[in-house]
Amino acid sequence: MNEEPTRRDVLGYGARGAGLLVLGSTAFYLTKKAHAKGVWVIDPAKCINIRLGTTGIDQFCDKCATTCVIPLSAVRAVNDFSKCGRCCICPAYFDVASDIGRDGLPVRKLCPRDAITREAIGDVDPDDPLNNFYEYTIDKTKCNGCGKCVMACKEPAGLGSIRLEIRYDLCTDCNRCAISTACPEDALARITRDLAPGGKAVESSH
Amino acid sequence: MQYRQVSVFAGKGTGADRFAETLYGIGIDAADLIYAVGDSEVKVFDTQGRLQQRWATEKPGYCVSISADRTVYVGEIGQVELFDAGGRRKTAWTDPERLGFVTSIGFFGDNVFIADAKDRCIRRYNKSGEWINNIGKDNRTKGFLIPNGYLDFAVDKEGVLHVANPAKHRIERYTMNDELLGYFGRFGTRQPEDFPGCCNPTNLTLTRQGDVVVTEKAAPRLKFYDRSGKFLTFVGPELFDPNCKNMDIAVDSQGRVYVLDTIRLNIHVFACEGGAD
Ligand code: SF4
Ligand code: SF4
Ligand code: SF4
Repeated sequence: MNEEPTRRDVLGYGARGAGLLVLGSTAFYLTKKAHAKGVWVIDPAKCINIRLGTTGIDQFCDKCATTCVIPLSAVRAVNDFSKCGRCCICPAYFDVASDIGRDGLPVRKLCPRDAITREAIGDVDPDDPLNNFYEYTIDKTKCNGCGKCVMACKEPAGLGSIRLEIRYDLCTDCNRCAISTACPEDALARITRDLAPGGKAVESSH
Repeated sequence: MQYRQVSVFAGKGTGADRFAETLYGIGIDAADLIYAVGDSEVKVFDTQGRLQQRWATEKPGYCVSISADRTVYVGEIGQVELFDAGGRRKTAWTDPERLGFVTSIGFFGDNVFIADAKDRCIRRYNKSGEWINNIGKDNRTKGFLIPNGYLDFAVDKEGVLHVANPAKHRIERYTMNDELLGYFGRFGTRQPEDFPGCCNPTNLTLTRQGDVVVTEKAAPRLKFYDRSGKFLTFVGPELFDPNCKNMDIAVDSQGRVYVLDTIRLNIHVFACEGGAD
């Protein structure tokens, strides 16, 4: 199950559009508010928080959170439930480097905005809370897309179920995208509807 | 106790003794021949890493184990293929309900134990391929907690199963009748004996004297515990690709430990300083 199943329409770009089309395995999602001329997307093969190979929480990049012109940024983290391992000790939820409490869990959370909730699925084993699955949900009213949890959930430490998305209902399409200018990895890309199969963007509903 | 790397063989490549795309499982027979599965092939090496023989499997193999009668069992999606020591296919066990994704196989007497990572439990069969019972299924989480999608275990000389339960950060011991005998291990990032990350250890084997050998991901390490769970030593992570996970392990009759680097497709060999265990 996905956190937001209505958004799961994948833009399956073909071989057109040169470099943009070598965008890694993570899919892109557009929304009903996508502008006719084009939209900004995060290239998962370039973004340091998403791309495979760069690991370590100290390496995370928060430019999407700090440089967007929209208050709280137009970028959000999204947890794809179909990929999440629902681990008891999720390194995207817990600061796994913090002390361990009496319950055997790290005492600090990772998200600086406390935007992730952790909820046991089903009956909790009172004698052994490790004996359970947990669901991690990101509160979009709190998340500013800082990317910390995305870096922590990345393979091989996590399963890469959390990704960063530009929310097109928030993005004003300011055309020069402040994040694209600031991004140290040149990971922001503008795509047009022409790139979508049959010249039509596949849309989903934010 | 210290382990040091004594050799590395196989590796990524197109040569007969290399793996082009994948290297998932390793097993060692009583004569110390090393069987590795990847690229939908079984490759057999001697302890020096020289290729002895190779043969194709019907589907990609994810684990390989060799029984006392030298039957080679290869775990695949939906089935286990059985070969004789010369690579001739004897049969395949297909049991779609119980053999969804086979990631580990072990033996004790007439019992064959098969890890089904799809259903997150271990199946017990007899040598004729008849199912007897499940292990680790009848619990609150309806199976082991394996976010990586791999389930690994080993059987000791008394027929006790030692199972890696990574999201619990534990190694659990079961009878073949599915009784939990005990466990050791806990989450932690500061002490080498603890298991870090969301889900470790991922893979497990036993030495002849019953020490427990495991691998971890992120960062990749090989760790050793005695049978009571007392931490002995570790190696890594610098020897392995940092993005390695599900690194299968096997031990030969001399106590040398063989570990897969699942990214570089290497087989690393470690020996205990001061000789065999
Ligand atoms: S690290 Fe990622 S995949 Fe693992 S439990 Fe956390 S959110 Fe889910
Ligand atoms: S992206 Fe940053 S603010 Fe958003 S949930 Fe992850 S850690 Fe929290
Ligand atoms: S600024 Fe670039 S590298 Fe940094 S989080 Fe945003 S897209 Fe990723």
